[in-house]
Amino acid sequence: MKLRDQFRFVRQNMKKNKTRVFMTILATAMGCAFLIVLASVGFGLQKSVVKEMMEQRIVTQIDVHAKNLKDGNVRPISDKDIPTLEKIKDVKAVTRRTMLQQEGIYSIGNYQEGTETYVTNFPAEVKAGFELSVGRLPKADNEIVVGYDFPLNLGTKDEVEDLYDNKGHVKKKYRYPETLVGKKLNLTVQQLKNGKQEKKKLQVTVVGIGKKPTKEWVEDKNVFISDKMLKEIERFTGTPGGAVLGPNDPLPEKLETTNGRYDQVKIYAKNMEAVQGIVDKLKEKNYETYSIVNELKQVNMMFTIAKAGLIFIGTIAILIASIGIYNTMTMAVTERAPDIGIMKAIGANPKTIKRIFLLESSYIGLIGAIIGTVVSYGISYAVNFLIPLIIKQAFGKEELPPGLTFSDIPPILPIICIVICYVVTILSGHRPAQRATRVDVLKAMRREV
Amino acid sequence: MITVDNLSHEFVIGKKGRQTIIPVLKNISFKVDQGEIITIVGRSGSGKSTLLNAISGFIRPKEGEIWMDGVKVSELNEAKFADFRIHHLGFIFQSFQLIPSMTAFQNVELPLILKGVSERERKQQTEELLKRVGILDYQDHYPGELSGGQQQRVSIARALIVNPPIILADEPTGSLDSETEEELLQFIQELNRDLGITFLIITHDEKVAKIGHRIIELKDGRIVDKGVLV
Repeated sequence: MKLRDQFRFVRQNMKKNKTRVFMTILATAMGCAFLIVLASVGFGLQKSVVKEMMEQRIVTQIDVHAKNLKDGNVRPISDKDIPTLEKIKDVKAVTRRTMLQQEGIYSIGNYQEGTETYVTNFPAEVKAGFELSVGRLPKADNEIVVGYDFPLNLGTKDEVEDLYDNKGHVKKKYRYPETLVGKKLNLTVQQLKNGKQEKKKLQVTVVGIGKKPTKEWVEDKNVFISDKMLKEIERFTGTPGGAVLGPNDPLPEKLETTNGRYDQVKIYAKNMEAVQGIVDKLKEKNYETYSIVNELKQVNMMFTIAKAGLIFIGTIAILIASIGIYNTMTMAVTERAPDIGIMKAIGANPKTIKRIFLLESSYIGLIGAIIGTVVSYGISYAVNFLIPLIIKQAFGKEELPPGLTFSDIPPILPIICIVICYVVTILSGHRPAQRATRVDVLKAMRREV
Repeated sequence: MITVDNLSHEFVIGKKGRQTIIPVLKNISFKVDQGEIITIVGRSGSGKSTLLNAISGFIRPKEGEIWMDGVKVSELNEAKFADFRIHHLGFIFQSFQLIPSMTAFQNVELPLILKGVSERERKQQTEELLKRVGILDYQDHYPGELSGGQQQRVSIARALIVNPPIILADEPTGSLDSETEEELLQFIQELNRDLGITFLIITHDEKVAKIGHRIIELKDGRIVDKGVLV
């Protein structure tokens, strides 16, 4: 018997008791919708948490904090580690920054700004994606590059009450009005020498301004100076990184410098998939690292367990619906026993009869699963639309995080549901189908079944 | 064509522990040649229906062998017997055994569907046969909308649709009036003559028995007479 004819048979049979079949499909659809909506909450919350985490950090970025030594101590990352790090497979760039250990005060005319100052390796920064919005990279030792938000915070030295606007920038009327590229600024650093504050001014020229950060909430006020300039500052302060001494700290007898040590070392992987491999390699080489992938792994593991639990609970609903399918199919076999007897008498193979009934139960299951999936998409949409409104109504001022997804249905979820539903309906239809093959021809034809 | 050799069968009846064994067929042996019409007669309870059911494969005999078309069918399992039936046997039942939810056309078409014949071929063959049995105009009628004679014609068309060499008939005229009975018997003889189909008919009706080339009479599960009818 051809499959097409079997389907035709199944459809004809289903039409015989439309109400019963409809109710069974309805129960299956409800079970499926319950499973999908329940699990979609797990998927939705995971999506929100992961999105939040990924927005906070660059996914391909790996922080390298220090190297663990065999004697149990740790040492900071220095010049000699960089070639090792750069040689690791799939590493796009290794950026390294040394921080000026005091706030650098930059001034021009009656305007000034205090901010963090770094020495960096620009070729590595460019490889990692650093771009300028205007100007060029430094060539001379007294040339600097400032962050995009630096000019927006270069404000008047005068005492004013309303210096900042609502974005936290210096108001335009108090801000340095001209473009900074090509301008000479004074960098003032200080040190407490024998309890007395001493200051040193260094003249720098702005040659470039960094690109606007892609994330709106990130503020880039950093200033990048040359390595030689940092060394000059260290010579003045006598401390590594230009650190300011405490009032009671004695001046170091010997000049201390950073000497090739870095405060921030970041590795950028070529792609997200390569991160784990690089992290493993770094671990192997005794480097202490941090990457969002590690954190994501834990979060994803937690959500996977939660989702599995939700799918399991949802499956119970489908199992309950399968009782309906079992009942419907048993009734169908009983009602159609005379027809089955006639079919067997004229030569229907028991396997064909079994297949027709299994097809019927799986047909019911699949229609139910498809309807349930469509409905669950509707419910998911409604949940995402209504729950924020309800929470707002219930808790008043409580603001929900923007973009929070309560329910998300990735394509894999309906597939999981349809597979579960199909397996369950096959199992629940198996026994009635088996019973159909055992119908006694003579009894069935005498209407004794 | 059909060989029944030393066939015996018994029924076990009653509740467990108080069962009674009733022998219904006792060492039945006979042969049917190709193109013969054989009628099996006997009183009620003589075992003629049991004999036909054993030959049809609806019951498995306790002892003996049945051969049909060179196949030892008494040893076939249910699935293999089903395949044998669909290719070699046609059935005519007393109560027609048509599926009530199917039209006359669908009932006749059913064996071809089970055989896996294409839809176009099925339509052509079914219409031809419905025309031959004279009920083409009723092809869209359900069995409940047809007379007894028309239903039996549908049943015959269904038996003939797979071109079987053997047709097994169980009281084929049992539900028909005498006029329709006459028509049906003529049609059976016509099919036998024109197509060479072998008929094995069970009946207690003398008129039906007379169309057989040979009559086998059963009494208490045994053959009591074998002879050629004039």
